[in-house]
Amino acid sequence: MRKESNDVLNSRMTCICKYFLILFIVLYIIFVYSYTSTKDVPFDKAEKALKNSINDENMLDVSSRGLKRYYGFNTAEYEGVMMYISNNGMSAEEILLIKVNDDTQINELEEAIRQRIKNRINDFKNYAPDQAELLKNAEIIIKGKYIFVAVSKNAGTYKKIFLQLL
Amino acid sequence: MVFSSFTFIFTFLPITLILYYILPRNVKNIILLISSLVFYAWGEPIYIGLMILSILFNYFCGKDIYYKKKNSKATISIVIAIIVNLFILGFFKYYGFLIDTINALVKTEIKYRQLELPIGISFYTFQAISYLIDVYRGEVKAQKNILNFALYIAMFPQLIAGPIVRYVDIEQQLKWREESFQKFGEGTRYFIVGLSKKVILGNSIGKIFESVNQNFNSGIKMSVVMMWIGAIAYTLQIYFDFSGYSDMAVGLGKMFGFDLKKNFDYPYISKSVTEFWRRWHISLGTWFREYVYIPLGGNRVSLKKHIRNLLIVWMLTGLWHGAQWNFVFWGIYYGVLLIVEKYYLKQYLERIPSGMQHFYTMLMVVIGWVFFFSENMRSSLRYLEAMIGIGSKGLIHTEDCFVVLSNWGLWLAGIICCTSLGAGILERNGYKGYKKWITDIVYMILLVMTISWLITDSFNPFLYFRF
Repeated sequence: MRKESNDVLNSRMTCICKYFLILFIVLYIIFVYSYTSTKDVPFDKAEKALKNSINDENMLDVSSRGLKRYYGFNTAEYEGVMMYISNNGMSAEEILLIKVNDDTQINELEEAIRQRIKNRINDFKNYAPDQAELLKNAEIIIKGKYIFVAVSKNAGTYKKIFLQLL
Repeated sequence: MVFSSFTFIFTFLPITLILYYILPRNVKNIILLISSLVFYAWGEPIYIGLMILSILFNYFCGKDIYYKKKNSKATISIVIAIIVNLFILGFFKYYGFLIDTINALVKTEIKYRQLELPIGISFYTFQAISYLIDVYRGEVKAQKNILNFALYIAMFPQLIAGPIVRYVDIEQQLKWREESFQKFGEGTRYFIVGLSKKVILGNSIGKIFESVNQNFNSGIKMSVVMMWIGAIAYTLQIYFDFSGYSDMAVGLGKMFGFDLKKNFDYPYISKSVTEFWRRWHISLGTWFREYVYIPLGGNRVSLKKHIRNLLIVWMLTGLWHGAQWNFVFWGIYYGVLLIVEKYYLKQYLERIPSGMQHFYTMLMVVIGWVFFFSENMRSSLRYLEAMIGIGSKGLIHTEDCFVVLSNWGLWLAGIICCTSLGAGILERNGYKGYKKWITDIVYMILLVMTISWLITDSFNPFLYFRF
């Protein structure tokens, strides 16, 4: 009799713990989601790691003026900007890394990036379909305060480096 | 942390072993658990919380199911427990894939932020589910000791890349196990063999594949033979990489007194695809058989339902490996092959010479790996086309011969070590007297060679991490 009532009590306690844990898991996931989106890696470190992997002579460093010229944004408004484009006008290759100061800057940048890619696909699709294909397969990743874009045949490699870093 | 890192080999493992062996029996599991949590948190401290919550949740679910068995509400409990486990796995692993698929199908642009995949989540979630189902079926009692249960889920040798250990197989060992010099020595040998398979063979052959695949992805056209060289190199790389890691896991288990089941049984000597899957990633195959295939009715149903069961299992197997359509296709590819073999090809296969059977099996396996290593379906189809000459640069070039001949030793060692021949040479118990000592020296040389390889070579990926 006593054993049975103990079992019932244990069963209830276990059940309560179980539902509390479901709640904790949901809260934890929300926390992780927010935390990973604000993870802080110094821009210099991220820039250095990516720069080391871009050993293509055909890529031109346009970090200081590229963002204004191609996207219409001021570099000074962000914590860091790194931009490489191909020095060949027939190539759509481009690598962009931006660290924003504030999360609210992300949306406008993302929209501008997607718009530019869309426009460039239209530009390239008739005379350089392979470049249009590269643009279609562009890697766009937003992670924490970082925005990463790679239009390149090595986009997968750059993406891997970027993800490993963060 | 990976087994093939200096931090693990020269710091983590020796400290854990020393503490494990000098401390009394009643704290051995605690030492193993703490070291396992440190091991997991080393690279990704944020996800240690997820694992601890998962352990606690499954511990209480196990008890809940066990108590409720007496009043038949256990079914609701097991369903909730499985849904929560699959939700966690799904959120971290399939969330992006799901949104991408919706975006592609409905032409929407739902935005999402990519999340890091918690290492080993597919493995430990499957272990937890196997425990819950076994408790539900009454095959085992719910674990009362939370430390023992946590150790079952988090034990570092099998935590991040399997084998997927069924609770029923390890329940007694969690309570009591015997450590001995003999077992420790056996474990060390397993570990050395696994480490050298992974570092010397897997990494070296992997470089050949990486160079072919990089050229292919860059749009450089290569010959048909070179495309096959790339695919065969990957076939060997993934075997040495994954089976090497599993050997290390089994070896480490033995060092701590555990007997884990082997995960590979020379899959590349198989004479059919069916046999291949009995020998490759055995623990995953067993899991799907026990917890999906048999509950669906297995083969004791009508032909239609049997085909449905096989396709469901293989689609899930593909999906387990990765949240991409090419993995799903890879799974279905094997599902279809197994159905064709069972209902049509089997009778013919048995009649052809053994060499032809091997050739057929390896052909199917190599083609299968193309879906596996490609970034997406389009890329895998392009690779396969190039393997039959569409979009490739001729049949053969001198550079193909160079790749084969300049690495002839590696290819030869790779092929030998895929068979039981390689293991047979190193099988210490097969020798007597002084020859036993010779094998010990061979193991030591192998270890020194592997360490030298690790020092001089920075290319040390681990393919099964992403699963």
